[in-house]
Amino acid sequence: MRYPLRALALACALTITPACASMQLGQTRFEDPVSAAQTLDQRAYAVLHAYAAVVEEATDIVADPATPLSVKRALGRAERAATPAVETLQIAVTAYLRARAEFEAASGANQTTIERSATALAIAARHLNTAVAAAQAPISELEGLVRARRG
Amino acid sequence: MYNLMLQLQLLLAALSAFLPLVPDEYRARAAEILDVAAKALTIGGSVATNLDDLAAKLAAIRADVEAMAASGAVVTAEQLDTAMTRVRSASATFRAALRTAEANAT
Repeated sequence: MRYPLRALALACALTITPACASMQLGQTRFEDPVSAAQTLDQRAYAVLHAYAAVVEEATDIVADPATPLSVKRALGRAERAATPAVETLQIAVTAYLRARAEFEAASGANQTTIERSATALAIAARHLNTAVAAAQAPISELEGLVRARRG
Repeated sequence: MYNLMLQLQLLLAALSAFLPLVPDEYRARAAEILDVAAKALTIGGSVATNLDDLAAKLAAIRADVEAMAASGAVVTAEQLDTAMTRVRSASATFRAALRTAEANAT
């Protein structure tokens, strides 16, 4: 190659350009999967997957030797607070799905059975709503720490 | 970002198409430069993918939920199990990484 420096410069430019484009200098757009949900179960499903994605990213930060130990510990505290809330959410959504299935199965039954299953479904829905709301704050705290670090 | 990658790849492909028009004495060198550029583009693409990993994951989840909402699909027990398995796995991996970091710090 007669002009190795030119070729190297072109290679560097082409290497850096897509990486810089992806950084968007503070304008990285984070989609909110939860706001796309239209039903309670879809909302819970979105919260679970989004939380898993945040924890996966937090793992990369913690595994990075360049991350200060104080940041790693703050992430650890946030994760320890958020994961139990997410586990409670999972129990609530499982109960909700079971109650909904029982309500749908009761459609051909007598009035008492229908009323009982409707009441059970309403209670399960209320518990699920509460669990989703309770999980929001600890998840947001962990997500905030991850975003601040990835800024 | 992916649009930019695609545009650069298309640009390289278009430039490669002009190779036969390049004089014989420069053709080999031009092909070599295009080859280096293509390899650099591939490396740059993988670096960029790591940088916006979380954004891409959240966008994929949102697309999944949007599809569910549009079709009126209900979440199945299997889908919930899969989501919770992902949470547990991520949490276990995170805690292991934190333990390792704490051990390395002491």
